[in-house]
Amino acid sequence: MFLAWQTSSPEVLTHLQAGAEAEKNGHFETAISEFRKVTELEPAVATGFVSLGQAYLENHDYAGAIAPLKQALRLSSGLRPAHQLLGYALLAQGYATEAIPHLEKAQDTAALGIAQLEAGQLSDAVANLQAAVSKHPNDPDLLYYFGRASGLLSKQSIDTLIAAYPDSGRAHQAMAENYYVLRQMPQAEKEFQATIRLRPDLPNIHLELGLVYAGASQWPRAEEAFRAETKLQPGSAEAAYRLGNALLQQGKVREARAELTRADKLQPEMPETLYSLGKAASLEGDALSAEHAWRKVIEVEKESSLVAQAHFALAGLYRKQGKSEEAEREMAEFKKLQNAAPPPEGPQN
Amino acid sequence: MVLAAALATPVLEVKHPAGLNFTLQNSPTSRKYLIETMPGGVALLDYNNDGLLDIFLVNGGRVTSSMEIPETFDRSDPLNWNRLYRQNKDGSFTDVTKEAGLANPGDGNYGMGVAVGDYDNDGYPDLYVTNYGKNILYHNNGDGTFTDVTAKAGVAAGGWSASAGFFDYDNDGKLDLFVTRYMEWDTKHSKTCGGEWHTYCPPEEFPATTSILFHNRGDGTFEDVSQRSGVAAKKGRGLGVAFADYDDDGLTDIFVANDGMQQFLFHNNGNGTFTERSLDAGAALSEDGRRLSGMGVVFQDYDNDGRPDIIVTELPREIYGVYHNEGKGLFSYQSLETGLGMLSSGSSGWGVGLEDFDNDGWKDLFVAQGHVLDNVEQIDPSLHYRELPLLALNRGGRFERTDPGTGSPVAARGAAFGDLNNDGWQDVVMTVLGEQPQVFVNPRGKQHWLAVKLRGTRSNRDGLGARVRVNGQTRFATTAGSYLSASDKRLHFGLGAAQAARIEIAWPSGVRQTLNDVHADQFLEVVEAEKP
Repeated sequence: MFLAWQTSSPEVLTHLQAGAEAEKNGHFETAISEFRKVTELEPAVATGFVSLGQAYLENHDYAGAIAPLKQALRLSSGLRPAHQLLGYALLAQGYATEAIPHLEKAQDTAALGIAQLEAGQLSDAVANLQAAVSKHPNDPDLLYYFGRASGLLSKQSIDTLIAAYPDSGRAHQAMAENYYVLRQMPQAEKEFQATIRLRPDLPNIHLELGLVYAGASQWPRAEEAFRAETKLQPGSAEAAYRLGNALLQQGKVREARAELTRADKLQPEMPETLYSLGKAASLEGDALSAEHAWRKVIEVEKESSLVAQAHFALAGLYRKQGKSEEAEREMAEFKKLQNAAPPPEGPQN
Repeated sequence: MVLAAALATPVLEVKHPAGLNFTLQNSPTSRKYLIETMPGGVALLDYNNDGLLDIFLVNGGRVTSSMEIPETFDRSDPLNWNRLYRQNKDGSFTDVTKEAGLANPGDGNYGMGVAVGDYDNDGYPDLYVTNYGKNILYHNNGDGTFTDVTAKAGVAAGGWSASAGFFDYDNDGKLDLFVTRYMEWDTKHSKTCGGEWHTYCPPEEFPATTSILFHNRGDGTFEDVSQRSGVAAKKGRGLGVAFADYDDDGLTDIFVANDGMQQFLFHNNGNGTFTERSLDAGAALSEDGRRLSGMGVVFQDYDNDGRPDIIVTELPREIYGVYHNEGKGLFSYQSLETGLGMLSSGSSGWGVGLEDFDNDGWKDLFVAQGHVLDNVEQIDPSLHYRELPLLALNRGGRFERTDPGTGSPVAARGAAFGDLNNDGWQDVVMTVLGEQPQVFVNPRGKQHWLAVKLRGTRSNRDGLGARVRVNGQTRFATTAGSYLSASDKRLHFGLGAAQAARIEIAWPSGVRQTLNDVHADQFLEVVEAEKP
């Protein structure tokens, strides 16, 4: 019972106490019956109707809750608990739009955000759900609704963009990214290329196109795209890393190493860059630099498949150098990590 | 340069020899039984010793949908027989399957591969056919016929066998037999994968199994020594097998190409046992420690340093594995350095051979290609079920793609290598799922060559396991390797401009022989010296 009760009638008090006890014990039918008697004895007191509505809600009878809660608000229009419970009941019954003003008055951002999401008021829903998530960051339901609202808002915005400006570079980019997520690569490639034709100066477009080619192991085309991105964004460590990797895959080791070194300078201690840098150094016969880079991967990354790969690479390096003890040690580390989590598969099928 | 390349004579040309009318019946069904996408083998052998290579082709069988248990595969239907084609003097072929006694390979067997070796040293090559089901050993009677001696020899195996090969692991002069098995799969436990795409399942969906090593007792029977030898201590998903002495200790070692897991390198300990050393030798995984979809394998020296290297064919995005033999029993992964990484990243490789197709003194690479999944384009349009084979010329240890001699993509599987028309230029026969095999004939050039036929006396009769060095190139005598297939036992060397050769042979018996000033452009039979 969240409502303070003031009454002079012992009969009303008896029913109130019986209702509260029944509610506490989960006997909601009894609680409903007792609170109904309270409303019959004191039909002008709003709080009785609120208690009755709450008992209905707890009994999952949302339709039954609506009438007493509305009556409570007729008797006392500013009663926040009544607004909140009525908002819940209406929302549960699918009347999201009707629930919204009550939840606004109750200042319940979580339920309000959900109601707005269901009513298609996405911007308001995102704002309210974000506020609710900041208060309850570990609530899975809230995280779900917040994610859904954000996604729908994003989609709505993209849909508007595509509908209003279908021939714009951004529309093609949005479609390309959508295809990329769906792994429909030929369509993604086509849309990225359309974007580049219209807006060759857009940041990340060449990078994204390069990723399409890299995913299909079309390394010369990937190189071309990544190179265009590095020209556009000379300060992008990712573009430099991707270009270095594409060069490495083609056996252009010297160029690859230069680009990977540049990526490492732009953003030091990126494990992926360091691992590839080690490979490039090793291919150039610079064992010392390779060892240094792979050791750094292990130092930076601690636990990941990349660490296992670094141990494996170091084992090979030491084996070549005739350092069998070190090679065995690295191989043991690799096997340990491999047993903990099997090594990554080659990208099959 | 582009025009010159376009006008250059292809290294290989697809021909359709008269009489070779075989179709590989793999019987694809909507149930996607995994066996359907895995056959079939081909062997190049001179079964009647007339000096001409003949062709043996392994057939799959008919699969009902849904599969009956037990499934018969309708192998009694001539459509589903394995076939032996005898080569005639005019280059045409005659189907001699029935008269050779190779018809009707027996119900319950779905054909996979073939191994060739003269296990009884009578001078006639015998055939071992692997199956899903029981395998079959056909003894060559020397009169144009074969006899099924499986039961007497004790080599039926069972389960799902894939590639097999004859070799002499204990150097007793009698060929032993190694049989890879793919996985524990049967018709009752088959399933489909890929959700809405409805595809063949990857190997990880089924338990791994052991390969089998049969020791030749010399009396026409074999003993299963898989457990005693240590071979059965490792469970794998073996599809390919190749032999060579990688650490130069005079004993033949075994490399098994495993699908979807680490590869196996069985080191021959010289006492009848093997130790699996792939991880420590650096030949187990990719450069990044990733497991591979090993399918075919070749174990020969690609960079003329005298040591056998390993090339493993795989699925797309994995790139074919090149394990360079560094000496001292160690390998380094060199797919990128050799250029093969770039040539293979979008392809699925099966049968594979290192042969000097242009006779320039460097072994070139041929790979039969085509994806496992017959609907792969729906899943990833950048991949293809039907592909052209890869022909890559070896330029001083680096591979460069060249015209494979065909413009028609196919779902290729097995590949066998040899000189079909005895012109000194290596040819290829490649099997194709649901279609006729493709015969790649080498149109000759101006370079010189030498083909060495070994005749062992103390060693096994065909000298399998010998290391033969000619003008700085090395070949390891074997009929095994590739995928499900067996190649010409003769050892072919391109000599470039050289008109004479020095031949050094290290026989499995330990005998070493050197022949100087050998004329180029001939087939030379070398008989093993009686004494070292």
